[in-house]
Amino acid sequence: MQKAACGAMGLMASFLVVIVLFAALPGCTGDAPRLTFWVGGAPQEVDYWEQLVVGFEKDTGIDVEIIRQPAATEQRKQGLVIALESGRPDPDVFLMDIIWISQFVQSDWLAPLDSCFGENSLHPRQFFPSVVDRVDRRNNRYYALPAFLDVGLLYYRGDLLQRHGFTGPPATWDALVEQALIVQAAERRENPGFNGFVWQGAQYEGLVCTFLEFIATHGGGISIDGTVNVSLPANEKALQFMQDLVRRHRVSPANTYTEMKEEEVRRGFQRGNALFERNWLYAWSLHQRPGSAVRGSIGLAPLPHLPGAETAATLGGWHLGISKTSDVKDQAWKLVEFLLSHDTQKKLLMKLGWYSCRRDVYQDPEVQSQVANIETLQQIVNHAVSRPDLPYYDHISRILQRYVNDCLAGKHSPREAITAMQQEIDRIEEIYGSP
Amino acid sequence: MNETRLQWILKALAALVLPAFCLLPFGWMLLVCFSRQPDFLLPQVDFAPTLQNLVDVLTDPSLHLMAYLRNSLLVSAVSAAAATFFAGLSAYSVTRLRFPGRILIPLGVLAFSMFPQISIVGYLFKLMASLDWINHHAALILPYTTLGLPLALWIMISHFAQIPVDLDKAALVDGASRLQILFRIIFPLAAPGALSTVLLVFIYSFNEFLFALMLTTDYTARTIPVGIAMFEGLHGQLPWGHVMAIAVVAILPVLLIAAVFQRRIIQGLVQGAVKG
Amino acid sequence: MAAPDQPPEKNEEARSAWLFNLPLVLLTAAFILIPVGGTLVTSLFRDVTYLPDAFVGLQNYLRLAADLHFWQSMRFTLLFVAVSVTLELIFGLVFALLLNEAMPGRGLLRVIVLVPWIIPIAVSARIWELIYNYEFGLFNFLLQHLDLTQQPVNWLGSSAGAFAAIVISDVWKTTPFMTIILLAGFSTIPQDLYRQAMVDGTHFLQRFIHVTLPLIRPVIVVALLFRTIDAVRIFDLIYVLTGGGPGGATTSLSLYSFQYYVSGDFGYGSCISLIVFLIAGLLAVSYIRLGKFSEVLR
Repeated sequence: MQKAACGAMGLMASFLVVIVLFAALPGCTGDAPRLTFWVGGAPQEVDYWEQLVVGFEKDTGIDVEIIRQPAATEQRKQGLVIALESGRPDPDVFLMDIIWISQFVQSDWLAPLDSCFGENSLHPRQFFPSVVDRVDRRNNRYYALPAFLDVGLLYYRGDLLQRHGFTGPPATWDALVEQALIVQAAERRENPGFNGFVWQGAQYEGLVCTFLEFIATHGGGISIDGTVNVSLPANEKALQFMQDLVRRHRVSPANTYTEMKEEEVRRGFQRGNALFERNWLYAWSLHQRPGSAVRGSIGLAPLPHLPGAETAATLGGWHLGISKTSDVKDQAWKLVEFLLSHDTQKKLLMKLGWYSCRRDVYQDPEVQSQVANIETLQQIVNHAVSRPDLPYYDHISRILQRYVNDCLAGKHSPREAITAMQQEIDRIEEIYGSP
Repeated sequence: MNETRLQWILKALAALVLPAFCLLPFGWMLLVCFSRQPDFLLPQVDFAPTLQNLVDVLTDPSLHLMAYLRNSLLVSAVSAAAATFFAGLSAYSVTRLRFPGRILIPLGVLAFSMFPQISIVGYLFKLMASLDWINHHAALILPYTTLGLPLALWIMISHFAQIPVDLDKAALVDGASRLQILFRIIFPLAAPGALSTVLLVFIYSFNEFLFALMLTTDYTARTIPVGIAMFEGLHGQLPWGHVMAIAVVAILPVLLIAAVFQRRIIQGLVQGAVKG
Repeated sequence: MAAPDQPPEKNEEARSAWLFNLPLVLLTAAFILIPVGGTLVTSLFRDVTYLPDAFVGLQNYLRLAADLHFWQSMRFTLLFVAVSVTLELIFGLVFALLLNEAMPGRGLLRVIVLVPWIIPIAVSARIWELIYNYEFGLFNFLLQHLDLTQQPVNWLGSSAGAFAAIVISDVWKTTPFMTIILLAGFSTIPQDLYRQAMVDGTHFLQRFIHVTLPLIRPVIVVALLFRTIDAVRIFDLIYVLTGGGPGGATTSLSLYSFQYYVSGDFGYGSCISLIVFLIAGLLAVSYIRLGKFSEVLR
């Protein structure tokens, strides 16, 4: 009987070993070092990245594998968090939304890039300091570099403004309301779906960007000096103004806080159904495309502000980073250099309408002659404001989204909303704010 | 209304309503898969049949559909085989041997099958990460095998219980070891049950989503359900033709299995649930 | 350890038994018990990727109690379970009755009924996603052509529409499971009872209520048990079909927990997932009590 027990044990052990071995063998190409570049976005955009990368492969002979991620920002982050937290050698190079960088750095997922900089190669001072110093540099080291820029700004229908005798886009919020009311009343006679001012008010991340711009242009803001503080009287005034746009002045549609996100806003404006639009840079080239109803009749400007305050633009955009656990860091850096080179950045600008953070791109004569709005853009970038740069930003964002949206829907007064916001943010800070 | 009339109506209903209810989405899937434009229901768009969607998804390198399929089949097959084997061992002991905790095994396993996967997957991710198994097949095979054990065990127990113990006794007298009895006598006699088990665990593993979502990061280990969930389109605006093409490819293996083995599958389900 | 005066056979049996059970025990311990235990422990910590771990005791749970999004998820999940399982039971019964009739092609029908259940949820979710498409989806097309609505229904963009969409898709997918189980239950009812009832001159419906239902009650209880617990854990369908939207309206508890995991917050995510565990456990216990499970076990 002893034999039986040994036999049983032996058989089972060997079976288990076989299973485990078989399963644990690197899944075919699993562990061979490869340079992977994780890119997400609309399929055409990823197609374009692939084309660019082919150029890189030809130049350097280094194979790059592009792994496509979904287009939705949240899903891209989820995929990256799982991969980076698991400590795997892939991905090597990836794009990050500007608001993730704080968490990614604090979670020790990004390789510092300082040792890669050189006089003749990529260097942070080639980029807009207001971006790289604020976002990419932490504890005096650089952990990322900007791939392209996005800022919030005001689009306006130049033709309509002219028709009604206005000389230019509004510089103050009061002027905007005044212009919007007049033009809206006139246009609605023929186009009942016309709105004075469309902006993103649905309950999602974009709402925080809009909110930030409204409060900053009212002289307020969100300070993270020591503790996160959002309860300023100026913020209350701004929130009241946002509510008024929808509920009192009625220059913004009722579905602002239920449906309006980037694409909804862009489409509305592009079909000719709005006078003013708050949106990101990306919308410009789409508005100017053949087939757009507003082609050639629009302009962009910094967002209006309260007299005595300054314009503001929420800083967005995507940055490139290298994983700390990458197994091909040298090659990864070469890819980053290539993607952020003058030529590639110029191509991205001319082809996709993605504005670069490299300063010398804007000095290129071809760019200067063909790309619109460069001076305005520089002006806007100088007034960029950032969302709270904290690793637990997503918690704060959720709180802000909810209360701002509720306020727009009329469920809270601005004071109630701001007070409640602050209380919840304080609670979050207690949990995530201290080591 | 008399009985036979009623019965006739019921049968007619069954013949019409049931297939319609069950197959309508598939019909739609096929239509869109083979149509050039997925929005052909719009008045201004025509329906034009084409094979291009299927060709595209099968050949596009950035989609890795073949890799997903390979991973799914591999992981499901190994998990099914392993779960059946290990459950068979346990079922044998539960139905034939006396030992303390004999009733605990099937009951415990039944209880564990009700554990929500979400309360397992978080810590499991950390475990797998520390073993460096994330994005390896092992990260999926071992959990799937484990999750398939409850169903496998109950099916095997109900089959083994039907095999008379006298057979064992006779073989023991002849000097056979327990293991030999299991493999030479019991398993062959319970082959239909074993087959049901393999099929059901295969189907369960093939369809599993949450673990695959959290424990894999790219196509080297990713399975089809996650692949199709993440798919956004190859080129152009509306990806639905391609999505449906992937769907067709994705369900072919399980459909084939269902068509060939439907009786075994149903038996397995019934035993797992009714007997339980 | 076996008592010293036990016959050597028993010892040997027990030892063999433990060897035979070793793989199952090891696997279960490693991939179910330890993870759940680990989740429990993690829920007592602040465990995020960007901070050192810190023991916080019940703080996560207290925070959960005040978390409005959590309660929204809870309401949605419970409502979904109630509506979905009820519908599945009803449809399952109806289909089982239909399939119970002897007719040509019954085998084929049983395969057809199996198909929705057998394919991956993720795949069927994408098919349904297209069916619910606002502009060119099948449902809106049918609804408008049959003149049932003026405007196309915004299935996935409104909370009511999204809820309906999820229930419909889930009922479609799991009714087959119910049908098969109930059908098997029907087959255990001896035909004599039916014949007797028919001779007594009872109506079909009366027969159903007074004869059939009581006899298949244990089967119904088991089927409900499995389906309810499955419904509580729902994740796949929602992740693919609505992503939890619009605005968190269809975020189930599992999805809510998942969202925290994949934002690097394992502490809070574990806490939420344990609530799902608790609910499943409570349901299981209630059903077992209700169905007088102990009788069935013997």
